[in-house]
Amino acid sequence: MADTVQEFVFNLTFPFTRTLGSTLSTFSSALVQGQIIGVRTGGRVIAPPLEYDPDTAADSGTDWVRVGPKGTVSTWTWVPEPTNLHPLDHAFGFAFITLDGADTPMLHLVDTGSESAMAAGMRVEAKFKAPTDRVGRIDDIIAFVPATDPSPSEGAGEPFVAPEENDITEMDAFCDLQYVDNASPTTIMWAKALMEGRIIGQKCPQCDRTIVGPRGMCSVCAIELDESHIFEVPGRGVVSNFTIVTPTPYPGQTETEPFARCSILLDGADAVIAQQEILDVPVSEIRVGIHVEVVWAPENERSAADIDNRSRGSGGDIIVGWRTTGEPDEPAARYLDRMM
Amino acid sequence: MAPSENDIAIVGFAQLPPERRTNLTESDLVLRSTREVIAQVGIDKSEIGFTVSGSCDYLSGQGFSFVQNTDAYGMVPAINESHVEMDGAWAMYEAYVRLLQGDIDIAMAVGVGKNSNSDPSTLFTVEFDPYYLTPLGTDTWSLAALQARALIDSGKATERDFAEVVVRNRANAKSNPFAQVKGDYSVDELLAADYVRNPLRRHDLPPTTDQAAAVILARGKRAYDLCERPAWITGIDHRIEAHLPTVRKDITTSVSTRIAAEAAGVGKGPIDVAEIHAPFSFQELILRESLGLDASTEVNPSGGALAAHSVMTVGLIRVGEAANQIIKNGKNRTLAHTTSGPCLQQNLVCVLEGDQ
Repeated sequence: MADTVQEFVFNLTFPFTRTLGSTLSTFSSALVQGQIIGVRTGGRVIAPPLEYDPDTAADSGTDWVRVGPKGTVSTWTWVPEPTNLHPLDHAFGFAFITLDGADTPMLHLVDTGSESAMAAGMRVEAKFKAPTDRVGRIDDIIAFVPATDPSPSEGAGEPFVAPEENDITEMDAFCDLQYVDNASPTTIMWAKALMEGRIIGQKCPQCDRTIVGPRGMCSVCAIELDESHIFEVPGRGVVSNFTIVTPTPYPGQTETEPFARCSILLDGADAVIAQQEILDVPVSEIRVGIHVEVVWAPENERSAADIDNRSRGSGGDIIVGWRTTGEPDEPAARYLDRMM
Repeated sequence: MAPSENDIAIVGFAQLPPERRTNLTESDLVLRSTREVIAQVGIDKSEIGFTVSGSCDYLSGQGFSFVQNTDAYGMVPAINESHVEMDGAWAMYEAYVRLLQGDIDIAMAVGVGKNSNSDPSTLFTVEFDPYYLTPLGTDTWSLAALQARALIDSGKATERDFAEVVVRNRANAKSNPFAQVKGDYSVDELLAADYVRNPLRRHDLPPTTDQAAAVILARGKRAYDLCERPAWITGIDHRIEAHLPTVRKDITTSVSTRIAAEAAGVGKGPIDVAEIHAPFSFQELILRESLGLDASTEVNPSGGALAAHSVMTVGLIRVGEAANQIIKNGKNRTLAHTTSGPCLQQNLVCVLEGDQ
């Protein structure tokens, strides 16, 4: 089937901002200045600091301690081929590094150039980004590198006096994950029919309901449905429900004005198709009961590229939308007791 | 044992064949596994008082996938349903607790994971500490490798020991029709491979698997209507350690597993068979010790998590395999274990017993 997609790539990317709270704000504000700190709690120094003592759940308090910039590797590993999420683009080590002045290790990168240089007990020191590039995040430290002088860090273990107000109270982060899903037999069936200008559902042999678009199962009887249960429905139906979305700006949002998304119950179907657009009715006049018919994209402009397993019942770029037929509105009794 | 009305048993277990890449959706997998287990115990779906699933949107890459998955239950009229963003073993735990309320007799727990859509070397980065670990791209393989290196440096195990775990599990898996990775291997042959994350090689890492599984639980005497020899849950416990592995005192042992095993009563009698969820080969060594098992216990006759590892399903399969040892295989007392989180952060231990 050349004209439907067999596999589709989905990039889950979004930025977000985390508030840090007082403990992490203190850590981040010191980090920007090139100072790593820990917190003394329960008789030991935890670095980087946590808001609570992991043993007792007690508040860790504000007994800040200067730690590092040198430390000692306890356990380590080696990443021969970094992923897009790793901060370095060449092979590097990860290690637990107990910073001078601290009693618990921190996890960070060790940039030695070669796996054979990694060893438990090795002395390393933090290599910071340039001051103007720092944002108060753990990756302000580019990596740890072998210490040129293994002697103890100067000032480590001494108290750190936090400013009255922290400079940094938030942290920007970015999610960047890629998925590659493959079209299920049901999705291929649906997309193929749409490309041919047909809308299909599946009729359950047990309860006689027709489900549009096909979902490969009857969600009332919980039985499998396949190609033998295909049931063609006309491209005509009734708006059975709707919502008006008032767009707020967020990354990826392209809409600026309120728009309606409608559920449509096609003639002869028992399940609605959702998230449909009515082309010729102003948002303020959208209502339940309007008779509509499908508007197909011209055959040479149809594409099933956007029809994936996640968009069940979506018309992708094959169905442009729906337009009113001009018939009188349907009474509510016609579209009660239907399925999503 | 004459069951009281507060005794809960596993009475049915079905798993789908594990696949490296299925072309079905998670909903399809849920439908097929639940239909099979319902048919196995011979009930109508309307007799199920509570249904609960374990799955994770981040794995399949679909928001609210667990809602779409409920299509597979046939929810007309409405059913009593729940979901955990955890392995199906924790769904089973919720079903167990729900049955203890005493007003229903039968519950179904499901685990489903279409793992092949995502990349395990990046995906789990979003699971970890968002301040200190995620910005570094900290990945699940590296965290496991740091734990493995610590185990080696402690003198408790060697890379050869890791490979021996793999050889044994893959050999055991040969007799398991639901194994994805199986066969005869030699330790030397495995040790010749390159590291993926020193000291771990590909064989030390879990396979990527698409799979679903389901169990049916029953309360009190009702269990005998559904199963000749029910697998009674005589102990179950779940313990959690600090999320940040760096603040745990010793990552070469599993304190949470030891406490959960004690609370579940593992040591009250001999364990015939243990199904242990060790995603990484060496973790089986840590878990055996922390569970307090001795040489008399047969460990992972199924091949364990190294034979198939569908995240969100693999733990429930440990429960099902341990239950089947009682239901079908005549064993008297078995153990199921599952883990979650970085470096064995969370552990659930379940002890099952048959009538004697």
